[in-house]
Amino acid sequence: MSRLEELIAVARLDPDRVFSAPWEARAFAIAVRLSEAGVFSWDEFRAHLIEEVGESDRARTASGTAGDAGEHYYEHFLHALERLLEAKGVVT
Amino acid sequence: MSGNHDAAESGPAARVKALEQLLTKKGLVDSETIDKLADTYERKVGPRNGARIVARAWTDAAYKKRLLANATAAAAEMGFSGPEGGHLVAVENTDRVHNLIVCTLCSCYPWTVLGLPPVWYKSFAYRSRAVSDPRGVMRDFGLTLPDNVEVRVWDSSAEIRYIVLPKRPPQSEAMSESELADLVTRDAMVGVAEVAPPSKTVSRRARA
Repeated sequence: MSRLEELIAVARLDPDRVFSAPWEARAFAIAVRLSEAGVFSWDEFRAHLIEEVGESDRARTASGTAGDAGEHYYEHFLHALERLLEAKGVVT
Repeated sequence: MSGNHDAAESGPAARVKALEQLLTKKGLVDSETIDKLADTYERKVGPRNGARIVARAWTDAAYKKRLLANATAAAAEMGFSGPEGGHLVAVENTDRVHNLIVCTLCSCYPWTVLGLPPVWYKSFAYRSRAVSDPRGVMRDFGLTLPDNVEVRVWDSSAEIRYIVLPKRPPQSEAMSESELADLVTRDAMVGVAEVAPPSKTVSRRARA
């Protein structure tokens, strides 16, 4: 079974599940709200997210064993949000 | 943020909580709004909007024309518009062409019509292979296309997000628009599946 097939099998068990923990939904909601409020644009956020996911992909390619960005997605999402808010001076 | 250096507070759940408290103190968020948004994206926004668009396009030739010309406007016409911005583009599957959607850099996805993406869509395994080996990826999903079908892969971005208009399945001629919408799955609108004929989808309809 390929890595992708494993993830497909998991998704088929519970196709409607989009978050695997309540904090993921909250982190997502906070990012959407701040973008709606104009604290940052979604494009700015996306640029930080791409960086985080890219780092993870490179680590995975290099080691062959690192976690897949799909399963750790909201950890990357949260880190991207924290870094963007630091860059904006909203948090220190 | 006192307690920020406490090791027990370094997990993601604690970091989100600390961030929310800080942003609340600054007046940038309030917990009621965050509760509501989290609930909306967790439970209410799903692939049903997209399924309704597909079913309408199958039954209304003028709507299909508008959808393929400007999917952002065609979705808005049905009341579906969202915060992620950018343009929505609908790509049509035919007997000759099959379309597959990916976001190779992160996770761009048309939330407004498909809800939030599943884990596999965000995975390295999917993102890295969808472009180089789309037929292999589709086979992992159980979809094997004839060799004479051209496969087109669409890489989503902040500017453009895609939705696949799947082929209407056989034996669905007598079905109403809402019955058709029940046949349409998220996977079919990403292009990793086809819409199965009605007899095969009875068990899946309940969860729609």
